Amino acid sequence: MPIDKTFNRRQLLKTTATVGAAGVFVASAPSILRAAEPDKPSEIIVRAWGGPWVEALKNGVSDRFTAETGIRVIHDLTEDNEIQPKVWAAVAQGRTPPIHINWDTTTNATKSALRGVCEDLSDLSNIPGTTDLAKPVGVDGYPIVNTYGYVYVLAYRPSAFPDGPPKSYHDLLDPKFKGRLAFYNDGIGFHFPAQVAGGGSLDGIPDAMDPAWEFITKMKDQNPLLGEDPDFVTWFQNGEIDAACTISTNALGAKKNGVDIAWTVPDEGAKFDTDGLWIPKGHSEGDLYWSKAYINSALTKESQQIWLDGLGLPGVVPGLTPPPGMAGDPAYPTKPEDFERLIRISGQIQVENESDWFSKFKTIMQG
Amino acid sequence: MQRSPSSYPIIWRVMDVLETTFAAVWPKGGGKFTPYLMLTPAIVLVGTLVVGLLYIGDSSLRVLDRSTFLFSDYWTLDNYIRALSEPFIFTVVWRSLLGAVIVTIVTLMLAFPYAYIMVRTPSSFVRKFLLIALFLPFFIGQVVRAYGWLIILGNQGIVNDVLGLVGVEPLRLLFNYPAVLFGLVQYMLPFGVLMLAPALTAIPEEIEAASGSLGASWVKTMTHIVLPMAKPGLIGAGLVVLTLSLTDFAMPAILGGGTQDFIANAIYDQFFRTSDQGFGSTLALLLIALGSILVGIIFAVFGAGTLALDGSRK
Repeated sequence: MPIDKTFNRRQLLKTTATVGAAGVFVASAPSILRAAEPDKPSEIIVRAWGGPWVEALKNGVSDRFTAETGIRVIHDLTEDNEIQPKVWAAVAQGRTPPIHINWDTTTNATKSALRGVCEDLSDLSNIPGTTDLAKPVGVDGYPIVNTYGYVYVLAYRPSAFPDGPPKSYHDLLDPKFKGRLAFYNDGIGFHFPAQVAGGGSLDGIPDAMDPAWEFITKMKDQNPLLGEDPDFVTWFQNGEIDAACTISTNALGAKKNGVDIAWTVPDEGAKFDTDGLWIPKGHSEGDLYWSKAYINSALTKESQQIWLDGLGLPGVVPGLTPPPGMAGDPAYPTKPEDFERLIRISGQIQVENESDWFSKFKTIMQG
Repeated sequence: MQRSPSSYPIIWRVMDVLETTFAAVWPKGGGKFTPYLMLTPAIVLVGTLVVGLLYIGDSSLRVLDRSTFLFSDYWTLDNYIRALSEPFIFTVVWRSLLGAVIVTIVTLMLAFPYAYIMVRTPSSFVRKFLLIALFLPFFIGQVVRAYGWLIILGNQGIVNDVLGLVGVEPLRLLFNYPAVLFGLVQYMLPFGVLMLAPALTAIPEEIEAASGSLGASWVKTMTHIVLPMAKPGLIGAGLVVLTLSLTDFAMPAILGGGTQDFIANAIYDQFFRTSDQGFGSTLALLLIALGSILVGIIFAVFGAGTLALDGSRK
């Protein structure tokens, strides 16, 4: 029987695609709320880091979420450290928080979880399909969902290392690198490799970290620059530095901008950490539902693939394809043996001691 | 003939509105207190700041519990003890203080001749040129100006490009203490000139001419006539530059390369990096105390009357 003119093949395909897309989204919605879908807000606000970070999130998660739900996603580029007190104050005063979702470092997010300002995300339907990396350590349940891991690599300018990549942080003590190195201004990412470089052991963290401080004191004599993510890219671009301990995404971003840059994990190892998403308390039931739906959609394989292709980082969903050039890269660990040279310290230890480490690092570097 | 109300000075009309409003609220009238209503906006503004300071004072007496990231429900002086015992804080305070003093001295040394020439030049072209040169950077924000210096003084900046033409290897001109002070002086110069210019304008040219006609050299006229008479302007400019430099955030952050923090940067770190608002509040109050002590010392040495603040109207 011929197909009726009013229901032709094109319309059949269109309808099938629509039903399929709806099905994918419904599957990604929080399971306990799937039956009764509350009214949609016109927009949700997601705090994000700028530059390549927000671009990747937009392409991988936000645009797809908007296409599926019709809810506009606003990216608030306030720094994670600066939004934190605002969110804490809003929750403490019973006000609606300024953002719906915080894209945060797991350490920072854990502070918020310990303070009790995070909504529980345990009911997200996509969590069972994630790897162990998604589960935050040191807190009950899922006040945060980790969404990927990253490595604080040793990024370097190949022309400054004609004999090959630096094998150790000790290589950076060469006088020719005086004033040509950079670290984060609180030393994050460098404390743990410095502990090893100084002759100490990782078991000495946090109680016996003198080796780290002694090595950082040696490094201070090299007059390194201290900055934040955007500074590293700028400094590499402007030829101010030859090497930096930074997140691989920044090095990748600089490379995409045409900067001659490479990265390595030195003998001392490199800090591995995670970022995650969480929802502050104080939102209406409807906003909370759709904020959870956003995070749930960030845990689908499709979203993770696009999002993390942009960041060049390993996700928390099995079966992702490494971005071009990242397969086997030390900054893209996926197999257990990839993690052997990476340093992972429990989030709880980091949260409880981070302030002291920052303070000690600053005391040395600003002295 | 009765004058039109619109021909009265605006201050009279404001007072009329205030008196009418006050009479409506308080029919018996406030008598001689009515004019003090004009102080209401200032009192509200200062009062708001005082309330904020009280909150900061309260926070400074509470310590952070890192297992819950909540503040103690009791008061303690631990944050103050920590602030006074941490070597890093001492380093930052000393760097800020020394920097503010150096910047103030250098700024005044540069601002005085600039303001003097701007005020005394007979050429309107020169005066306009100096005014434009003064105000153009004034309209550009501090952060933009600091980034401008990154472009000019960077390893691949204009200065190093020029030096490269004569065979000089690129020099590290940025990310050190002198770079921060340089940026601060450049930022503070318009403030200094603007504070000095009225004081110099108030010195009649005839006095300088009289000094010269009595045989004083130009140097003697400057040191014995102009500088003493410009003292209110110098003190006022010095106060503004000193307090602004002491509390500056952007220049140390951008031109210091992360290694030249001032007190404001340390406060920022406590509020936004370590989530310890209690300790951040303590540092903020110490900064306020330090600034107040400096201003107090200046008043004690030079007298509040130097700034025509002695209440006399001669």
